[in-house]
Amino acid sequence: MSDKILLNAEHIDKQFGITHAVNDVSLTINAGEIRALIGENGSGKSTFCQMLCGIYTIGGGTFTLDGKVVNVKNQVEANNLGISIIVQEMGTLSGLSVAENIFLGHEEPFMRGLIKDTRAMIREAQRLLDEYGFKNIRAGAMIDNYNFEDRKLVEIVKATYMKPKILIVDETTTALSQNGRLELYKIMDAVRADGRSVIFISHDLGEVLEHCDTISILRDGEYIDTVKSSDVDEDSLKRLMVGRDIGTAYYRTDYGKEISGEVVLSVNGVTIPGQIEDVNFELHRGEILGFGGLSECGMHEVGKAVFGASWDRQGSVKLADGTEITSIPQAIKHSIAYASKDRDNESIILNESIRNNTVLPSLDDLAEAHILKAGKLNKFAQEFVDKMQTKMQHIHQFVSELSGGNKQKVVLARWLGKGSDILVLDSPTRGIDVKVKQAIYALMSELTAQGKSIVMISEEIPELLGMSDRILIMKDGRINGEFARSESLSEEDLIAKMV
Amino acid sequence: MQNFKNSKLFGFMILGAMVLFFYGLFKFLTPTNFGSPANLFSYFQSSIIYSVGGCGLYFIVVMGLFDFAVGANIVLSSIVGVILSEKLGYIGFIIGCLGCGTLIGILIGFLYNKLNVPSMIVTVGLMLVFESLAVFVAGGVKQTLAPELRFFSGAPGNIILAALAFALMWFILNYTRIGTYCNAIGSNEFTAKNMGIDVKKYKLIGFALLHFFVGIMAILTVSYGTTMTALTGMSTMSRNFQPLMGTFFGVAFRKYGNPISAIVIGEFIIAIIFNGFVALGAPTTIQNVVTGAALLIIVTLTARGSRGSVVK
Repeated sequence: MSDKILLNAEHIDKQFGITHAVNDVSLTINAGEIRALIGENGSGKSTFCQMLCGIYTIGGGTFTLDGKVVNVKNQVEANNLGISIIVQEMGTLSGLSVAENIFLGHEEPFMRGLIKDTRAMIREAQRLLDEYGFKNIRAGAMIDNYNFEDRKLVEIVKATYMKPKILIVDETTTALSQNGRLELYKIMDAVRADGRSVIFISHDLGEVLEHCDTISILRDGEYIDTVKSSDVDEDSLKRLMVGRDIGTAYYRTDYGKEISGEVVLSVNGVTIPGQIEDVNFELHRGEILGFGGLSECGMHEVGKAVFGASWDRQGSVKLADGTEITSIPQAIKHSIAYASKDRDNESIILNESIRNNTVLPSLDDLAEAHILKAGKLNKFAQEFVDKMQTKMQHIHQFVSELSGGNKQKVVLARWLGKGSDILVLDSPTRGIDVKVKQAIYALMSELTAQGKSIVMISEEIPELLGMSDRILIMKDGRINGEFARSESLSEEDLIAKMV
Repeated sequence: MQNFKNSKLFGFMILGAMVLFFYGLFKFLTPTNFGSPANLFSYFQSSIIYSVGGCGLYFIVVMGLFDFAVGANIVLSSIVGVILSEKLGYIGFIIGCLGCGTLIGILIGFLYNKLNVPSMIVTVGLMLVFESLAVFVAGGVKQTLAPELRFFSGAPGNIILAALAFALMWFILNYTRIGTYCNAIGSNEFTAKNMGIDVKKYKLIGFALLHFFVGIMAILTVSYGTTMTALTGMSTMSRNFQPLMGTFFGVAFRKYGNPISAIVIGEFIIAIIFNGFVALGAPTTIQNVVTGAALLIIVTLTARGSRGSVVK
């Protein structure tokens, strides 16, 4: 890391209505540095970076990059000035080819007057993909033919091929498998070795400590401190993020709890062609059943299958009374809830209010002679978002304005309100800070104590070990191992069944 | 196997199979009245008129927009073209149709951007305006294209003009920014804006291109029918839907990378079904019911997303 200051942010400020998202933040980043930006959800990390790269306008203050003040209007302008971002959610566009996505807004080198040299563009995109080691991705193919992770890899190429001075990696690793993460770390290391810099946003503190040189902490939009990774550990970072000690109840501490013999859900011979095959398991009352595996192992499809969301599912999903679950409305009617990994696209209606998102599955219960009364809906929504301690202005605020963790709280508030007995939670703490994580884990324990049952699908092994009564590990679409909760159970035991 | 199922060839095979199926079905039901080579050529010639409009509509439908003024513009542009042809011959005819069509498109795009209301509302309002304008321009008289200006009324003129339109569409989609940006805006307008795309500009270009193609459709329509009568009271509404059916095919087969061939073959399939019922002697109402149902079935079978997926 050199002494040269590459980025100087002075008194950066941003308000959304009454919410002060970024409050007078000043920090500097040196050339050849990987700087982590950490903080709770809603602490202002993403907003800070999105102002730097033109997704949001700068509310106040100045960014100076390499000695020049920058105030960009959009990502293309940011790219041209040497700033790139890989965003948390889907950053590629459907309906375009891989090559079109990589060069979107940067077609100029391939333009011959008004005519685009499509072949040259595809050739160059393929060269880049091959160079990055993503040879399975074809530049001329439609992006829609690739899964979420491959699309993230395309996004990595898009954000880095121009060799930006500042590369922002905003909570990207949660979308990647271990291999994808390793590729991203390699790219980050290369950026640093080249004398350029990375701003790395992540809630995985282990990853932050391992791959970053320095760490800046934000809390409630305010700058708290910048520390060297070598000088801190996870606990001290958590303290800095939250402003107090995180209690010992981060994960469950009970072991040896007897699982109820009462089966509430039986999954028999469930197959989704090309995705999962002959999956069988039983879920017991008051149990947290964890599902783990590598990203393409099929565990996410199990969640959809249980919720009746897979149209080509074979086999059966039955409740204790023999009722077979074959559709989403039927699942909801029979007290099954589902929170998808793809929160923004599958769990939340972004351009709707917190209230309307919360009451959605409960409208039939709330209606009086088919008439919905606003007062009753407001009261219902307020009760459950308060219970989840959702950070918001009011219940009529659009969900799109909330941070990832608070969006997840709205999802959970919705199902709490519905009083669902079986909850299928796919990656429940994905992209969520430690404080909200703690709250979600506490809620899960509270729910199981009430006799509710949870299927928890997770890509985080510590979460599986820390929260599950039983763990099923999937590999290549099949269940490849089952573990009971135990203090002696290790990450290695689970990984051995995943790979 | 997965790659093959996403390939252009697979898309063509589905379309080809549908053509063969419907052709075979009607040939079996009415072997003498339907499906001779001459008949098929006739069906094809009538279908390419709608295919041209379908190509134009594709530019705005992929952006999530809609246009109810297509039919009104066909009428208005045809009338303007015929009137100009009386003084300037083919040049007046072509410039009248294309120029009027494109100007209308620019006007729609401009008003859509300025008014900031849904395209459906803007175009319904403008449809009524254009219908009245057409009556005014035509002076309440049926306009007839002079016999010496009917090169585009049949083969090879109509096929050449339509082929040029398809080639232009293919070129724009594959070799200009417009195709990429229209798709990008339709996929996620917010992200497209963040990529520096001037969304309003490309929506205006989309409407202008749509109505340029509508201008071509006007040339083919008035050449095929030789006359055009301006009517008010939303009577042009029905002209919107036949090209739109082709666009649905195009959007449905976009994933195979060949929307133009899907539009052209899709319109041909609709023409086969329609003419098949004519050959069977079915009443028009039944023909419309079955044609509409066939469209729904075909697009459902070919473009169905996975259960639970978002369909707009």
